[in-house]
Parts: sequence; C-alpha cells; structure tokens
Amino acid sequence: MSELRKLTFGYLGLLALLALTVGSSLLDLAGFNVTLNLAIAAAKAILISLLFMHLTGTLPRLAVAATGLWLVILFGLTLIGR
Amino acid sequence: MSGTESVAFDTPQRERRGDNFAMWVFIASEAMLFGAIFLVFLVAHIDFGRAFAGASKHLSLPLGTFNTVLLITSSFTMALAHMLALQRRWRATVWALLATSALGVCFLVVKGIEYGKEIQEGLAPLLGLPFRYSGPDPVHAEFFFGLYFAMTSLHALHLIGGIVVITGMIALWRTANPASRLGRVVAVGLYWHFVDIIWVFMFPVLYLINR
Repeated sequence: MSELRKLTFGYLGLLALLALTVGSSLLDLAGFNVTLNLAIAAAKAILISLLFMHLTGTLPRLAVAATGLWLVILFGLTLIGR
Repeated sequence: MSGTESVAFDTPQRERRGDNFAMWVFIASEAMLFGAIFLVFLVAHIDFGRAFAGASKHLSLPLGTFNTVLLITSSFTMALAHMLALQRRWRATVWALLATSALGVCFLVVKGIEYGKEIQEGLAPLLGLPFRYSGPDPVHAEFFFGLYFAMTSLHALHLIGGIVVITGMIALWRTANPASRLGRVVAVGLYWHFVDIIWVFMFPVLYLINR
C-alpha cells in the first residue's frame, strides 16, 4: 500500500473513531461509557503512533515502554490505597 | 544525505537514530507531566463524580468535537509533510507544514471562543473572575473548571510552542540542507503528533465521560 493511501486510511479511521466516541457518549451504556471512551482514545493513540509517528525500532519502543511502566507505577501506587 | 550535522556521529544514519531516540525520550518526559495531571483529575473524579458530571455538561460538545477534528487533520497534514520530505518534494513539504500550523492556529481560535463563552457564563474560576454556578455542589464544580482550564491551557501552550517551532523552521528553510530539513520535520512531527495524542485523551475525559 502506498504511503499516501496508508496515511489517508489512518486519518479516516481517526475521524470514524471520533464519531464513534461522540455518538456513544449520547447513549446510556450503564457505566460502560467511561471504559468505551478510554478504549477508543487508546485505539486512536495507537493509530497515531504507528501510522503517523512511525513507532518502529528498538530505542523508540524502549522509551514508550519505560513511559508506560512509570505511568503504571504513578497511577498504581496512588490508587492502590483508595 | 551528505555528512552528519554533529561530530558526535560517524554516519548520518546513526545521527538520525540518535535524534529520533532523543525526541522519544523528550516525549516520555512530557507524558509524565500530563500523566500526573490526568491522575489528579482521575482521583478528583472518583471522589466528586456527581459534581464533575454536572459541571462537564456546561462545556460545549460541538466546539470540543470540532477542535478534535481540526487537530486530527493537522496531524494528518504533518504526516504528509514527513512523507513529502522523504520524497524530497520540498515546496509541497512547506505547504503541508503551513497547513499544519494554520490548523493549529484555528484550534487556538476555537479554544479562545470557548474560553470567552465560559468566562461570560461565569464558569472560569481564575484571575479573580466571579464564579457563578447554579448546579449542585458548586465547590467541587469549581474544582472541575479549575482543572479544565489548567489542562486545556497547558495543552494550548504546547500547541503554541509547536506553531512557533514550525514557523521558525519555515523561516530558516532556505538556509538548511536537505538532511537537516528532513531531521527537523521528523522531530517537530513527533512532537506535534504527541500533542494531538494528549488532546485525544483530554477530549473524552473532559467533554464526554460525564455525560
């Protein structure tokens, strides 16, 4: 697939996910709205990082993994006692 | 690709990989900054969920959604700039960069309109402005709006930084050789996409989750 095509599909995918997240917020999904909204945000972030930011190679992935680890520690230790 | 910009690298490839890794480390540090703010919001949301739900309904969903479309489009034009720079189509690259920063400016204008509306409605608990809120639990609603303004203004500040860097890059375009042009487009592109990702999380957290 040509690069332009890939980027365009990524862009349209992001717009579709945005429509989905806004649409789902108008429905009452009995507590699942939060999970769904955050899952869609994560999916958008993955699309952007893989297609637009070209997240490949060991070193960039190492930086992202380290970020994830520190965020887990930050959130985990804060929420663990609550 | 001719030579390296710094004497610290043997080959241009190694230099590009070094530049790229440095940008990712910088992005990681920025993610920690925004992560801490999201954590404050999450803890407050756990404790004052009802007040936050009520306050969130006062934000403009149409303007927030429109701004998300603008920012996603700007990320797309930035990705196009990267693709065009790789193909050494420099004139088109500059146009894609100009489109990216113009979309960034549009985002800021819409955000400004939104801020103006909120200040007019008395929902901005900052700079000594009067806070008038008629819903339930106004104390914690005020906390929500405080966090809303802190998070969105920090994000806007990052966007302004990106626009300034892109403008500077275009101003110095003629003096830069092809290798440094490409390096700069890649670096500013990574930063721009990261600022987009932050908004991708901020939008549902502030505008949608509590509806």
